[in-house]
Amino acid sequence: MALKGGGGLQRKSKASDQIPSSSLADIAFLLLIFFMVTTVFRTESDRPIEWPEAEATQQIDETRDNIMYIWIERNGDIWINDRLVPLDVVSELVAPRWVESGRRLRISLRADAEAPYRYVDAVQRQIQQAGAIYVVFATDLERRMMRERR
Amino acid sequence: MAILKKQSKVSDEIPSASMADIAFLLLIFFLVTTVFPKDRGLPIVLPEEQEEVEISQRNILHITINPDGTVGVRRGDSQNESFHRPHQIQQVWRTEVAQNPNLIAGVRTHPDAAHRYMIQVLDGLQMANAERISLQMGEG
Repeated sequence: MALKGGGGLQRKSKASDQIPSSSLADIAFLLLIFFMVTTVFRTESDRPIEWPEAEATQQIDETRDNIMYIWIERNGDIWINDRLVPLDVVSELVAPRWVESGRRLRISLRADAEAPYRYVDAVQRQIQQAGAIYVVFATDLERRMMRERR
Repeated sequence: MAILKKQSKVSDEIPSASMADIAFLLLIFFLVTTVFPKDRGLPIVLPEEQEEVEISQRNILHITINPDGTVGVRRGDSQNESFHRPHQIQQVWRTEVAQNPNLIAGVRTHPDAAHRYMIQVLDGLQMANAERISLQMGEG
């Protein structure tokens, strides 16, 4: 019997020991398209606040153009669009955006969890004065586990 | 004449060998710059200015938030105030609304109380499906 190359013991595996790289470019393109579609470039930077947590947190059902962010820091400083603004100017900034959006503007009130309520109330009054009515108190989603531990 | 028949050495095809490299470069760029929007919170609708509605005391549940985080709950037609922690409000509201379905939550927060306590109370009310909520500031 003629044995080729030592018989069954030295039989070579047909499976390649290399990771197939022909589809690498396709995967890269797929990821690229995903990130291109989902990317939203930042127009303003975040203020360093402690986010309050709430279990009932929900997504704002409005396009980004129709959301205005008002930051309230612990010491009562109000920041809109990367600028520190005095309280009585808030309504002057909100009013044109409210009209522009066709009465759809959502105001995301990003107040520090430890900020005294007087500042939050003062900003709410300014928003009301500008005629806007939709306010969202920005919160982080609270995990149920954390609540049970409390 | 030889000059007329000379063929161009420049290829008429777009080079595709570097396509994957370009794709990777762009991919890394978008990976680094992507920020997923965090537009979420507790929505409320503010009343329009000068929009005041008279409500019978019978249908109001006064919820008072104190600077130390305790929450006083009192029915509009009663003098008895009970005290709770903010996260107990959900249960309190469910019990009260079962007795009176027309109930309105009148949340009055002390000016020095932390925003966090107001959010916890509002969270409890929204978790208990309260729809009519009035937010006011108490006297300091």
